[in-house]
Amino acid sequence: MLNKILCIDDDQITLMLCKMVIAKATFSNEIVTAKNGEDALNFFDTLKTSDKTITKPELIFLDLNMPIMNGWEFLEAFNTEKYAEFHNTKIIILSSTIDPGDLEKSKKFPLVIDFLPKPISKEMLEYLKDKIQF
Amino acid sequence: MKNNTNKITILYIIVSIILAILYREFFKIIIPSNPLAFSFINDLLFIVVSGILLRFVLHKNNIKNSEIYRKLKNTNNEIKESNERYDIVSKATSDIIWDWKILEDTMTWNKGIEAVFGYKQEEVGKGSKWWFDNIHPEDTIKMSIKLYSFIEQKTEKWQDQYRFKCADGTYKYVLDRGFILKDETGKSVRMIGAIQDITKQKEEEQRLKLLETVITHTKDSIIITEANLNEGKIPDIVYINPAFSVISGYTSDEIIGKSPEIFIGPNSNPEDHNTLIKAIKNKQECHIETLSYKKNNEPYWVNFNMLPVYNSDGELSHWVSIQRDVTEEKKQEVEKEQLIKELTQNNKDLQQFSYITSHNLRAPLSNLTGLLNLIKDIPIENQELKEIIDGFNKSTHLLNETINDLVRVIIIKDNPSIEKQSLLLKDIFEDVFSQLDFLIGLHKPIIKFDFEEVTFLNTNKSYLESILLNLLTNSIKYKSETRKLKINIAAHQLEDSVVLTFKDNGIGIDLERNKDKIFGLYQRFHDYPDSKGLGLYLVKSQVETMGGTISIESKVNIGTTFTLTFKNK
Repeated sequence: MLNKILCIDDDQITLMLCKMVIAKATFSNEIVTAKNGEDALNFFDTLKTSDKTITKPELIFLDLNMPIMNGWEFLEAFNTEKYAEFHNTKIIILSSTIDPGDLEKSKKFPLVIDFLPKPISKEMLEYLKDKIQF
Repeated sequence: MKNNTNKITILYIIVSIILAILYREFFKIIIPSNPLAFSFINDLLFIVVSGILLRFVLHKNNIKNSEIYRKLKNTNNEIKESNERYDIVSKATSDIIWDWKILEDTMTWNKGIEAVFGYKQEEVGKGSKWWFDNIHPEDTIKMSIKLYSFIEQKTEKWQDQYRFKCADGTYKYVLDRGFILKDETGKSVRMIGAIQDITKQKEEEQRLKLLETVITHTKDSIIITEANLNEGKIPDIVYINPAFSVISGYTSDEIIGKSPEIFIGPNSNPEDHNTLIKAIKNKQECHIETLSYKKNNEPYWVNFNMLPVYNSDGELSHWVSIQRDVTEEKKQEVEKEQLIKELTQNNKDLQQFSYITSHNLRAPLSNLTGLLNLIKDIPIENQELKEIIDGFNKSTHLLNETINDLVRVIIIKDNPSIEKQSLLLKDIFEDVFSQLDFLIGLHKPIIKFDFEEVTFLNTNKSYLESILLNLLTNSIKYKSETRKLKINIAAHQLEDSVVLTFKDNGIGIDLERNKDKIFGLYQRFHDYPDSKGLGLYLVKSQVETMGGTISIESKVNIGTTFTLTFKNK
């Protein structure tokens, strides 16, 4: 089981669903949410300045289409030196997109370890457990 | 001669009479006494004097005769020589010589009449009628007018061109030249002529005239220039055709002798000029599209093709350039490009729109699916609520399926270049059957394969699987209720293509009525509850995306055959 994961999505229902499924599958102890890319970056900014004892998220579920700062913009920003200390955090894109270009684009970010279609499900989490090996 | 003889005879008689009178008078005075002696002496003297006279006359005549003989001989020789020369010339010349005695109207022809026109001597008519009869009807009037006015000495020389009929009925163009012989009174009595066969020249002339019409009538501009650069400039113009005048506004007089460099204007590309100069230096054909300027300085686009022309000695003699006004084409090309650009952009926008729309539909739908998945694990006591949630579940899944189908269509349409790999046909079918395990187990169709000819197919795995899945489920779905379902699947090699046939004995489709709609989107031909009218549309899209074709043959209540053709490369 993971200690902490971050779900970034603008859809409150999706976030609720994530929380519920993750809890049911005992995938992670703690679930933090952000409602868009900027919100998520702010979260990491506070992490940087705050007490080092606070655990960093080990995994991010990232949506692509979001207002203010979308998933791609978040990835661009997060991929910089500024957030280097969080670069062992793995990212999984969770989206309803059908654009084949999105999958191609995601391959340019080594932090992104998978690209999965919504909705999140217990089966999906089982698969991820296998993949990440924890 | 006769007159002369008479003269001499009369002279002789007169001289003899005078002598006779003189003797008588003379002897009357000298010896008047003896008449007998007188008579004898008289006779004797007379004979002697006439003898001397005769001898003188004969001598004179002799001299005259030998003179005449010599003259005659000379004349004879001359005639002979002349005849020989005539014979030689008439043999040597390819011309036909004719000789027309006008008064008697007899005409003779030399052997050329056979050599050139093919007439045997016995076929040739004796008079001038035969001559006139064989002249082409269109030429005969003009020719006879000219000829008769010559004979009546209204003209000095006679020569004419006309068509003369050959023995085989064809006509040859001839040049006929003649002169006339007149008698002492100046009357034309005889005419001699020479006919020359000018068919070749005439045909060449006509051929050239025909070729010339191409230059003068073509809508393309033609400019002929000299061979060599004129002080580094494009060679001077020696000819322009009327089309060039029409297009450029320059007349022949204005432009001949000038370099085509005057067609260059402010917006012409200097590169084009360099290309031309280089081609002229290298004596190479040159093809460019360039902006040229009219006399009124209006620019126009020309498609310009310049060719070197060589003379019979193989030396470059001229440059011929053919030009076409392509301004309109250029304009259309630009418009076309603009249109393509707009369409491409439109297409992109629409594609993006479809992505966003489907994303926005899928996002809440995925929430619904996720939530329903969670409900599954929660026991529900209330029966009514359970039914409601069941209905909710079914509808959500149906909506999800529909949207997924649509998404597949969108993705196929947007993905024209797909990855292909070489696959064993057997493996693909095994895969497909395992996915249809349940259906096959339920209906137990008799399925026959014939993959002996083709074992491998270079294709996209997921597309081919989807195609076969669709066709197989269709066969099962639309099987006949009275017959056991039989499906024949075969693959054949046809040149560099593979032909897959997929045949069943199901209920079939009425192609007469549905021919155009068969592969259309949302077309349903049977009122079955789970028919969405998407399967064959997807199949066709996938086949075509892989560069293949699909066709259908079907008879109601007999069965349906699909034929798929793929390039196996």
